[in-house]
Amino acid sequence: MGVRLVRRPLSVARAYAELEGSGLGAVTVFVGRVRPDPSPQGRVEALDYEADLEPALRRLRAIEARAHEHFGAGRTVLWHRIGRVPAGEVAVIAGAAAGHRAEAFRAARYLIEELKRTVPIWKTERSRPGRPPRPRPGRRGARSSG
Amino acid sequence: MGSSESVVIPMNGNAYHGGMPGSVRVRLFASAREAIGRPEVEWAVPAGGIVAEELVRALGRRFPALARVLPTCRFVRNGRYLNQLSQTVRPGDEFSVHPPYGGG
Repeated sequence: MGVRLVRRPLSVARAYAELEGSGLGAVTVFVGRVRPDPSPQGRVEALDYEADLEPALRRLRAIEARAHEHFGAGRTVLWHRIGRVPAGEVAVIAGAAAGHRAEAFRAARYLIEELKRTVPIWKTERSRPGRPPRPRPGRRGARSSG
Repeated sequence: MGSSESVVIPMNGNAYHGGMPGSVRVRLFASAREAIGRPEVEWAVPAGGIVAEELVRALGRRFPALARVLPTCRFVRNGRYLNQLSQTVRPGDEFSVHPPYGGG
């Protein structure tokens, strides 16, 4: 099975390699990276991910099984990194290989949407102090930090 | 018992119902953990256990900041989701509080 919750960096190349298989002519790989967005404290420099491991792994396996049974995926990967993930690095990979693109797209989308909705994983922003974010024009009550 | 991470909290002062108490390990994640300032507490319960709904209410009474988070939470007993809060949580069980998820 292709589910992982790991503290080490995720490799897109390895995920892609896991999706190879005879007759699997279409491969869709979604990669989620940490964005260095402005934050009230400055700028996001990392996200700290935590998970409740036992139910999280059980949910990931159930999602993967359904991607195969109901969405026509031949092979899948559903990997999430936990612990501190610096901005720019990969936090999640959801990939599906199928015979044709429609199934591959549908299965990959199902994997990532279900992960976000139903898997007990949480993130906390870690920010680098800096210039306060510029208030957006027309937005009342925009905050600025010290 | 006695460390900052493990505090046995009686349900209602010194009053126990249903026999000698044991405790449930309550694990808190993300905003639920931040609400009480620690990742878990040992919660004293009667020997016969406590209905999950009552445990949730008692946690909210003890930790007002947590009470604001609880309505959005899901609950897990010994690694399995509780579909109904009418189920019983017994001494020795692990009871996890899950705020809305934020993976990806």
